[in-house]
Amino acid sequence: MNSRILKDRTAHFVMLCMSLFAILLVLLMAAGLYLKSHPVLEAHSLWKLLFSSEWRPMKGEFGFLPFIMGTIWVTQVAIIFALPVSLLTALFLTEYAKPFVKRLVFPALDILAALPSVIYGVWGVLVIVPIISKRIAPHFMDFSSGYTVLAAGVVLGVMIVPLLVSLFIEVFSNVPMELRDASLALGATKWQTTRKVVLRKTFTGVVAATVLSVSRAMGETIAVLMVCGCVIGIPQGVLEACYPIPALIANNYGEMLSMPYYEAALMFAALILFAVVLIFNLLSRMVLYRIEKKEE
Amino acid sequence: MAIEVKNLNVYIKENHILKDVNILFPEKQITCIIGPSGCGKSTLLRTLNRLIDSTEHVRLEGQVLVDGVDVIGSGPEITELRRKIGLVSQRPCPLPMSIFDNVAYGCRINRMYRKHRQLIWNVQKQLQAVGLWEEVRGRVRTPASRLSIGQQQRLCLARSLAVEPEYILADEATSALDPISSKTVEDLFVSLKNDYTILMVTHTLRQALRIADNVVFMYMGEVVESGPADSVFHHPQAELTQKYLSGAFS
Amino acid sequence: MQMKHKKRVEELVVKTLMWMAMLLVFGLVISVVWTIFSKGFKAMSWEMVSSLPGGGFYIGKEGGFLNAIVGSLYIVGASTVLGLLVSIPVVFYLNVYLKKSSRTAYIVRLALDVLFGVPSIVYGAFGFTIMVYFGLRTSLLGGILVITLLIIPIFIRTMDEATRNFPREILDATFSLGATKWETLKVVVRQIAPGIATATLLSVGRAIGDAASVMFTAGYTDSLPTSLSQPAATLPLAVFFQLSSPIPEVVDRAYAAALVLTVIVLVLSIGGRLVTHRFSKNKL
Repeated sequence: MNSRILKDRTAHFVMLCMSLFAILLVLLMAAGLYLKSHPVLEAHSLWKLLFSSEWRPMKGEFGFLPFIMGTIWVTQVAIIFALPVSLLTALFLTEYAKPFVKRLVFPALDILAALPSVIYGVWGVLVIVPIISKRIAPHFMDFSSGYTVLAAGVVLGVMIVPLLVSLFIEVFSNVPMELRDASLALGATKWQTTRKVVLRKTFTGVVAATVLSVSRAMGETIAVLMVCGCVIGIPQGVLEACYPIPALIANNYGEMLSMPYYEAALMFAALILFAVVLIFNLLSRMVLYRIEKKEE
Repeated sequence: MAIEVKNLNVYIKENHILKDVNILFPEKQITCIIGPSGCGKSTLLRTLNRLIDSTEHVRLEGQVLVDGVDVIGSGPEITELRRKIGLVSQRPCPLPMSIFDNVAYGCRINRMYRKHRQLIWNVQKQLQAVGLWEEVRGRVRTPASRLSIGQQQRLCLARSLAVEPEYILADEATSALDPISSKTVEDLFVSLKNDYTILMVTHTLRQALRIADNVVFMYMGEVVESGPADSVFHHPQAELTQKYLSGAFS
Repeated sequence: MQMKHKKRVEELVVKTLMWMAMLLVFGLVISVVWTIFSKGFKAMSWEMVSSLPGGGFYIGKEGGFLNAIVGSLYIVGASTVLGLLVSIPVVFYLNVYLKKSSRTAYIVRLALDVLFGVPSIVYGAFGFTIMVYFGLRTSLLGGILVITLLIIPIFIRTMDEATRNFPREILDATFSLGATKWETLKVVVRQIAPGIATATLLSVGRAIGDAASVMFTAGYTDSLPTSLSQPAATLPLAVFFQLSSPIPEVVDRAYAAALVLTVIVLVLSIGGRLVTHRFSKNKL
């Protein structure tokens, strides 16, 4: 075996290890978070951790329900806002838009995708929060600071629009042109074709893309932290403050770690987040891969 | 210095692409492989230099003897085999680098020359051999992608020749070219046959008629007929060959 | 006749809705960018970007946030280099060494996509645990490592996408000259150079804007880090911390820092589009 072949084999081995590291990292994260949250899991039942709303770190009581509900509320609002906008935008771009419109819209989406979380936070504080506290909330209640589920949801919704649109476009462009032509040739209007051919054919893809964006939304931290209000309690409506899981971790981690079980509890929060995101991601990615493959 | 194919079977997934192929490609002659598209001509070429290894779900059976050594299975070192067998593909495919580096690429990876001067000399020699030297003189450091398609194809030939192969495989090497470039490249192959054993897949019968010493006619993965060009063209034995030559299908 | 009429109305309604969605997207972009720019410009001064926080900085006295700019640049620069060093071989491996149907390639890609989806706060918490395990304190090094891990999936998957349309003929051509797979690296890298450039710009944008992961790992400081073991400030955290101050002058600095961050990110994003535009003729 000459040196060139040896080099090739060595490179092969090293690069294989580097690639496998990606898989290892996922497992490491799961293991690390689990080990670190082990103490609190030992002290309390999983049921109690997930479904109790007693949050008294000083007394060693950790009920995550308020934070879990906060996350669910915020994500829900974000999706309700982002889904129709993204779907319409993506359909418009793939089915209707002329090239020059695309040339304008894509850079705009690029910018939206590129802006950091903290910038959205600033925008939320300066624009969305005042609108809610001055314009919207007064119709329903005496006073609201504006730092609410609604504010967090809207900011989050705006943040996931570019992701959703790009995933949708990917999904829609996998529908063969001939199918559309066949439908149009039968006298269907563009919208009928879009609805009955494109949307029906890509239904699973659309769901997968949405699930993926939901998982992205759930983990978003800084922007949400800045506008959510950070009040511990199960929100009863969109105009109440909330305290999603990522905000909990960001606000408290690194401080007060001397308290027993506190660090473990926060690590458990990270573990919940990781587990949900992992499952959502795995499922939706596998569906999206299958769609891509079919087209090839 | 010949290539001999014995009982070669190639499967891709469940498809039987080459069926019991037996051919001898004689030394220092041009052998043209003809047949309708999809008959396995290209697969055969890709099997000879084992480029087929990068195809998905492929299974090889039988023997391919290059210089008397079987190259199927473990065989000799694959890089050495490929150096010995040059390939000119259908569409010219310059590497993303300068004209000079394109020709020098193979010499460099095979570490053929100790001195840079020798390398420069060899590059010039090969460019002259394909008649490109006069055309690109003074701009050999510019990207190869700026050449015309015909020039690119000759560059690819020069690139293959630079690693001192013994065999040249050409897969419809002239089909993407305009008539004049096509003629130039075709003439090149004729002039090269004194030094190389040339295997050429072609889709134009007239080209085969012009330059082939031997002809192999393939149909649906099988070799229907093979032999000296003269006898295959003028006295075809099989009915299929007669039909194909008369233009009944293509 | 009735039917036809209905069809036309439907088409019109849908189109209007689509245009409204489009306008909303535009409106949002303009609103965000305008908010940051108008607030930021008012607060911006040369002192902000050229000096460190002074004595009474946090009660509104003199100083700027050079510490955050420099810290961010250190972290982003180092992690981009590290990220490239890891990513290029992996992309090369996935595309040249492994076949399309390879199970390994499938699982690695899946793992990378999952990692891409892992929230940065989880990266931060995980990174911090690892650092504690190795006895590291919040430091420049910690920030660099966590950001590197964070951007590697983006790096790899973006380049991977760019390599998907890689012409197989080029590989065949090099192989037929007797090259080993490893020896095609140079050719492949040259061919996907635009993809690498785009991926780099994207990753840099992501790296510079991420706050949650550097919060626990890089920490925050008013001085410039002089070694890898010292904590480092970052732009997003400068915005975040100062925005929550009750003193208007300090909040102004948050706006100015936000402006700097936005400008950097916009330049990267526009640069990325120009690069892709230049090198791909038939793409959108």
